[in-house]
Amino acid sequence: MEHTSMVHALSEIRRALKPNGALIDLRPVEDNWTVEIPSSSGLQVAGRLADMPVGLADDAAAFAAMREVESRGWFVNEHSEEFAFFYYWDTPSEMKEWVDDEWEDFEKIEKDVYRKTQSLWASANAGARVRVRVKMLITRWRVEKSANHEDRA
Amino acid sequence: MKPQKDPENFERKKLLDFADFDGARVLEIGCGEGRLTWKYAAASSLTFGLDPDFDALRVARADSPADLRGRVEFVCASAHRLPLPKEKFDLAVLAWSL
Repeated sequence: MEHTSMVHALSEIRRALKPNGALIDLRPVEDNWTVEIPSSSGLQVAGRLADMPVGLADDAAAFAAMREVESRGWFVNEHSEEFAFFYYWDTPSEMKEWVDDEWEDFEKIEKDVYRKTQSLWASANAGARVRVRVKMLITRWRVEKSANHEDRA
Repeated sequence: MKPQKDPENFERKKLLDFADFDGARVLEIGCGEGRLTWKYAAASSLTFGLDPDFDALRVARADSPADLRGRVEFVCASAHRLPLPKEKFDLAVLAWSL
């Protein structure tokens, strides 16, 4: 979504919210997410995915849109936190297929990271899996009480 | 092969920490197949899930628990033009959609 579209969408959301209502913005953010091998004997890190330009541009547009609606006095940032969201696969090849097909605009797995993932997984316990640690951002925005209600109509 | 997503339920825990869904009227933007919706909808008094993907909404409707029918509605629409009256909701959730 482009910046202007995001700002417009946020104005629509604000219109639909009651005064003093809240907006929860929950989304992944690019951070060269780590590829990990969890098993009963512990956790090993194979490396990091490479962020792609489209994903980085999307993040920049989202942050810019939220800054803009905050500067317009539409919403106030009450609280923000980061947390981990994990995607699990049974094998490295399943993980690679997903990254290549579903995240192609956002993330890329370099050959050396994939080779290390295969190696660590192959030498781990039978129950070892592959996971990607996605960085998530959650923010609670409050509808600004003093906002001009004329533009809520 | 589809991955298993968030089996630790970190997302649900964090979402419930950040907002009080009890009795709330909730608007979810980008609900898709309802993966996130079902994590809080039982607590809300009314949930409206919006998504422009008609096929995803078919899955969401098919997955609707019987006890939540009538309290959860799915509408094919985008956030650019919300087909909703003003000041109707206590909470809005932007679900992986900004």
